[in-house]
Amino acid sequence: MDVLSIIVAAIPVTLGVTAASFAIGALLGLVLVAGRRSRWTVVRGISRSIVEVLRGIPPIVLLFIIFFGIGSGSLRMEPFQAAVIGLGLVSAAHLSEVYRGSLLAVPKGQFEAADALGLSRTTTSARVIAPQAFRVAMPGMVTWAISLLKDSALVSTIGVAEIMSVTNQYARSSGDGLMPFILAAAVYIAIGTPLAIWSRWLEKRFARIRKAA
Amino acid sequence: MKSAIFSDWAEWLPRLLDGLWVSVQVTGLSLIIGLVVGLLLALAAFARTRLLTWPAVLLVEIGRGMPALVMLQLVYFGLPSVGLTLETYAAVVLALSLTTAAYTSEIIRAGLRAVPDGELEAADALGMSRSDVMRFVVIPQGLRIALPTLLGFAILIFQISSLAFSLGLPELLSQAYSIGANTFRYLDVLTLAGLLYLAVTIPAGWLVARFERRLSRHLTT
Amino acid sequence: MKQAESILSLRDVEKTFAGHKAVDGVSLDIARGEVVAVIGPSGSGKSTMLRCINLLEVPDSGTISVDGKNLDTSGTVSARDLTQLRRRVGMVFQSFNLFPHMTVLRNISLPQERVLGRSREEADRRSMELLERVGLQQKADAYPAKCSGGQQQRVAIARALALDPEIMLFDEPTSALDPELGLEVLAVMRQLADTGMTMIVVTHEIHFAATVADRLIVMADGRILEQGPPQQVLDDPQHARTRTFLSAIKDR
Repeated sequence: MDVLSIIVAAIPVTLGVTAASFAIGALLGLVLVAGRRSRWTVVRGISRSIVEVLRGIPPIVLLFIIFFGIGSGSLRMEPFQAAVIGLGLVSAAHLSEVYRGSLLAVPKGQFEAADALGLSRTTTSARVIAPQAFRVAMPGMVTWAISLLKDSALVSTIGVAEIMSVTNQYARSSGDGLMPFILAAAVYIAIGTPLAIWSRWLEKRFARIRKAA
Repeated sequence: MKSAIFSDWAEWLPRLLDGLWVSVQVTGLSLIIGLVVGLLLALAAFARTRLLTWPAVLLVEIGRGMPALVMLQLVYFGLPSVGLTLETYAAVVLALSLTTAAYTSEIIRAGLRAVPDGELEAADALGMSRSDVMRFVVIPQGLRIALPTLLGFAILIFQISSLAFSLGLPELLSQAYSIGANTFRYLDVLTLAGLLYLAVTIPAGWLVARFERRLSRHLTT
Repeated sequence: MKQAESILSLRDVEKTFAGHKAVDGVSLDIARGEVVAVIGPSGSGKSTMLRCINLLEVPDSGTISVDGKNLDTSGTVSARDLTQLRRRVGMVFQSFNLFPHMTVLRNISLPQERVLGRSREEADRRSMELLERVGLQQKADAYPAKCSGGQQQRVAIARALALDPEIMLFDEPTSALDPELGLEVLAVMRQLADTGMTMIVVTHEIHFAATVADRLIVMADGRILEQGPPQQVLDDPQHARTRTFLSAIKDR
């Protein structure tokens, strides 16, 4: 098989790692942002520390701790599982920051108006605040998805057979260190560019809505 | 048990600190080289001639679009086939510099764009030449606007330097991994390495945030 | 008005933005030392006309001549002609547009050094003179953010004057200011008019126009609707549109 078809065949693995990590991050991120807005100082402090640690540690180090550290001990893990857990945790921290920023962007008057109308806290969050915040968060979430797509190359180091991993193998066996990596770069750019365009479009649309309001 | 871990940590620490020093070195060098190239690319992308703008934008998009890990492999394994063989250290610095240049040029360009149009018009109306407007009005302010984001990126590139592990550069992660391979105490030594990374990134993050707050206070009326 | 006396002439100046004629064939002669106020509803093209004079907007057609030197704007204007024009025509903006990263003194001195080639000492000396004239010598070392809007606008006037222009353009110089801060800017402008400076002022300040201007121009739809001595135009407007506009302003 030629190198391009080998790389293309690995695209689903890269997309799988990216999508699964993003899904985990999107959900855990909600938990983290709820924690950061909690009534209790302790909960706020713990949530904040978790976010800072997950954002402060290089993702590859986190992956190694999970796969070689924890995975070599009591908890046996497949590379794919370790990859998705590691990148999922990193995503949770970053997405919680995206959520937090978007919540701050909802005008205070919206909370006050909902209070004045006598809406419950749950109704206020779910029906009034979340829809507005989500629109603000969208571009940031897509931007993170692009970063995550590129970060997914890291999981080649723990043996997940995604784009980077098969490219490396091919380069090593064929002795050609240039073409395979150029093609891999092109594939990442080809997948990431539509996402980048989408994110920019969302951002512009949001700016327009905001101007009109 | 606990004290055993700590005595091990004490034994590993010197090697890990050696590694950390290498990480800091390649980060610093890449930032210096990358920022200069990034500024030039930003100015080219900001220029009025398409001839300069297009190649600059294209290079930046390619640099930002590929994973840093691919950039490292490409420089280390790819360049020899076009006749440029680099030692590991130089290859890492070159690759990280290119990544830095791509990202920072985008950050700087955004900063240059954020300089209010009214000030450019005022400079035009005063009869200042285009190069004077860039030199005295746009660049100083654009860089100031970009500074907090650039500092944030500096922390990121320090984290990215851990990818040099893949080329065998004896930086922090490589040192931790090789101790792990010898002792089979992966969890302990990798956790210690993680803490060392955090000892740099978290305080640095606080400083950047503080600096950003101070700067935004100064620039608003 | 005799052609020979005019320091600035516009002939058939036109400027179109996206199919909309912002300035639609304006011709105008301004005498040396004359103070002209331009009023009109928003979108009447008065600001665009002003910005055409120092080529911040390049007209689609028409000629502009300053002190007898003709600029045909239909071709490309050379960088040298542009600089020559702009050092003779000073401009003050609605939003001041001081450079926020320079002190008040640097704001005024830098253009003198770069455009006129003055030495730093010479430029600073001239800047201090002008700051004194606008009553702000104590603010020389302050940054713009530490000045009120009225003070910033007075600095902006000093900055434009520092290049020794022959004509000063004012684009709604008090519109962004609270009324009492606007007054201090108007006082400086009044003083400047007394020194014999040629001034074109786009403004909504009818009182200023009535008391300081030699001539009042009313614009609508990119054209000059009517013009004349301020009292005459204000007391006896010839056009229905002028009457509507004036009464709308007075009712406020």
